[in-house]
Amino acid sequence: MSRDQIFFIVFLFIFATINIYLFGSGSLSADWSGLGTFIAAGITLSLYSFLYKDNPLFKFAENLYVGVAAAYTITQVWYNVLWVDVVDPLSELGSDESLGNLWLIVPTLLGFFMLTQLSSAKFSWLSRIAFAFVVGLGAGLAIPRTIAANLLAQIQPTMGPITADLAGFNLFIILVGVVTVLVYFFYSVEHTGPVGVASKIGIWFLMISFGASFGYTIMARLSLLIGRVGFLLEDWLVLPLPLF
Amino acid sequence: MKEFLLNIDRRIIFIFVALGVIIPALTSFNLPINPTPNVQSIYDTIEEVGAKNGTILISFDYGPGSFPEVQPMALAVLRHCFKRNVKVVGMCLWPQAVGLAQQALDTASKELDAEYGSDYVFLGFKTGFHSLVINMGHDFHGTFPQDSPGNNTTELPVTQNIKGLADFDYVLCLAAGNTPDGIWIPYGQERYKFKFGLGCTAVMAPDQFPYLQSGQMNGMMGGLAGAAEYETLVQASGTATEGMRPQSVVHLIIIAFIILGNVMYFLYGRQKGGAQ
Repeated sequence: MSRDQIFFIVFLFIFATINIYLFGSGSLSADWSGLGTFIAAGITLSLYSFLYKDNPLFKFAENLYVGVAAAYTITQVWYNVLWVDVVDPLSELGSDESLGNLWLIVPTLLGFFMLTQLSSAKFSWLSRIAFAFVVGLGAGLAIPRTIAANLLAQIQPTMGPITADLAGFNLFIILVGVVTVLVYFFYSVEHTGPVGVASKIGIWFLMISFGASFGYTIMARLSLLIGRVGFLLEDWLVLPLPLF
Repeated sequence: MKEFLLNIDRRIIFIFVALGVIIPALTSFNLPINPTPNVQSIYDTIEEVGAKNGTILISFDYGPGSFPEVQPMALAVLRHCFKRNVKVVGMCLWPQAVGLAQQALDTASKELDAEYGSDYVFLGFKTGFHSLVINMGHDFHGTFPQDSPGNNTTELPVTQNIKGLADFDYVLCLAAGNTPDGIWIPYGQERYKFKFGLGCTAVMAPDQFPYLQSGQMNGMMGGLAGAAEYETLVQASGTATEGMRPQSVVHLIIIAFIILGNVMYFLYGRQKGGAQ
């Protein structure tokens, strides 16, 4: 028996023993709530077992998550969107008041056209009509709004007057950062002399920005770990935190 | 020893990180949490909205994967709103957020006796992203004719006078993806000019700062630290405040490993052409 197999069996044994004790002592209630906590604890530990190495428990938990998330999304879309906005209004089309809902047939048909992509070549061309609509609508909406919100609205404060106070100093740093990073990504001129210096300053700005992003990423991942550890200690092991 | 320090097994680092989380979680010591201006700004805006009995829209755009970071923000903001009689309209651009939003609304409303329909309304999830936000901007009741339980939004006290997004006194997005900078700002805030705030995961936070500088957002809570700052402001210590102890300890551990790695690299690694 390999070392990994021994680890696997010992892990299952410890997990089973702890749960028998928790259910036996009444710390975990013998109902759906207790069962949910037990399953959540098992899946959490299975997923973190990947930190040791890839293993069947991790694979099981990973695939289970994908399946559950997909099923949950489908039910939400069905009950909150398809049922309320499509099935319900279309099923009432017989009454006079609901004639205004006739236009719903168009997007519904386009939706069905999208599904024809999964069929044979005889019908799959219909999906192009739906995709053309989505691409056209998406581009038409996105281009002006993205330019307005992400470009013009950002340029305006960057080009504000630099005053002799802290706010002005911040603005000056932002201005230098924007200009030097743009110079770094300007490849039509050789990066030598003043252009090279500006480009190097641009690299420093980029490095600091990557460092800030990495720092925030560490903080985010640790927050998730803290959340899971808190769940395991308080909800599963029912420890009255803090102990000391 | 030198070889060991130049090539520390990642599992040893994991053990240090695990201990850095577990031990502070079991022990009791408090670290000062000072709210930053960006978090304070959201708090102040909700105070202003409360002073005129206004309405805010909270968009819950996150899933279980970011629950520990964003859910404490949701709870802290909802508690603040219900304490100050701010009417709340909740909605989701992410289908995975529905259960989490419902849980947060139920918890906060029970604690502060907020009544469904007159104090808060939950619209649930609706697909469409950008087209949904644009439609909400000019025809709120047409976009959401019914709330999540099936009541007509034209009849509920909280939503009956809302014609479009501009009628909300504040829009707060609690996000774990691209909905603030990809949806709410370009298709909502820029077009309908409402006051907009953000609570987001720490991973997203650095990319959102430009929108603060441009004034498209008036405040931001970033990650667990942002949530803890808001909990401090509303004087309701929760999981975010508790999480600051392990967070700070592990940050120190990681900084120590970074310093150790760099010292070893500059002392020995470069002589060998880099650590292996």
